[in-house]
Amino acid sequence: MPMSLSVLDRVPPSVAFPDQALEANLERLDEEFEIYQTTRNRDAIYRFLEAVFELILWWRHEGMAIHYSRRALWLRGHRPVPKRPEPFAAAIQCTTKVDYKTRSKWSRVLRYAAEYYSGECLTKFIKRKGGINRCAARFTRRLGRTKNPR
Amino acid sequence: MKFRVDKILQELIDETLDRDHLGRGDEMPGHKPIFVELLSDLEIAGYATRYLDLKGRIAWKATPRLRDLMHDRWLDAVADFDADVA
Repeated sequence: MPMSLSVLDRVPPSVAFPDQALEANLERLDEEFEIYQTTRNRDAIYRFLEAVFELILWWRHEGMAIHYSRRALWLRGHRPVPKRPEPFAAAIQCTTKVDYKTRSKWSRVLRYAAEYYSGECLTKFIKRKGGINRCAARFTRRLGRTKNPR
Repeated sequence: MKFRVDKILQELIDETLDRDHLGRGDEMPGHKPIFVELLSDLEIAGYATRYLDLKGRIAWKATPRLRDLMHDRWLDAVADFDADVA
């Protein structure tokens, strides 16, 4: 084996996350939202929320949530991009056309879940906690701006 | 770094690595760089996505798009097989 290849093999590999991969992730959310819009099933929104949740959780795990959120907003033409966008809200804004209130509510639900869920299915968690509206209210009560001033 | 991928992605990558290996003969570098490249390509194509597994580790799984594609191919293969038998 040539020297250069064996040296390459020793470099710990990591999978880069270029803009194309980020765009592919956003496209997946687009598809999930489209499914939600074309069905009459009331639970269809959970599939979209799960996809957003899954994406932002690994962004947070890598410590890149703010950075990737800004990149996503930029890629989707939401300019000027805020300095510290809320990642869940940013992902929803990039992939749906819902109004501000809905976006804020879904984002609060997901932030609440990120804080309290323990690895179970997100849909089950939200339902167990009383549904989307209840979870949003719980977030505001427990973790909202007035409870957690920064 | 260990790469955790689901069964569908693992099969797809193994298949591609095997095919690649047959073509390259002795010049084949270690599997890992190619594995990473394939995983990255699949992610860019929207066929693989990262997530946190139950232990909070980064892992990759097939997207619904890839699952649908594999399902269609399987149906095609079954139809071809039935046509051959008939």
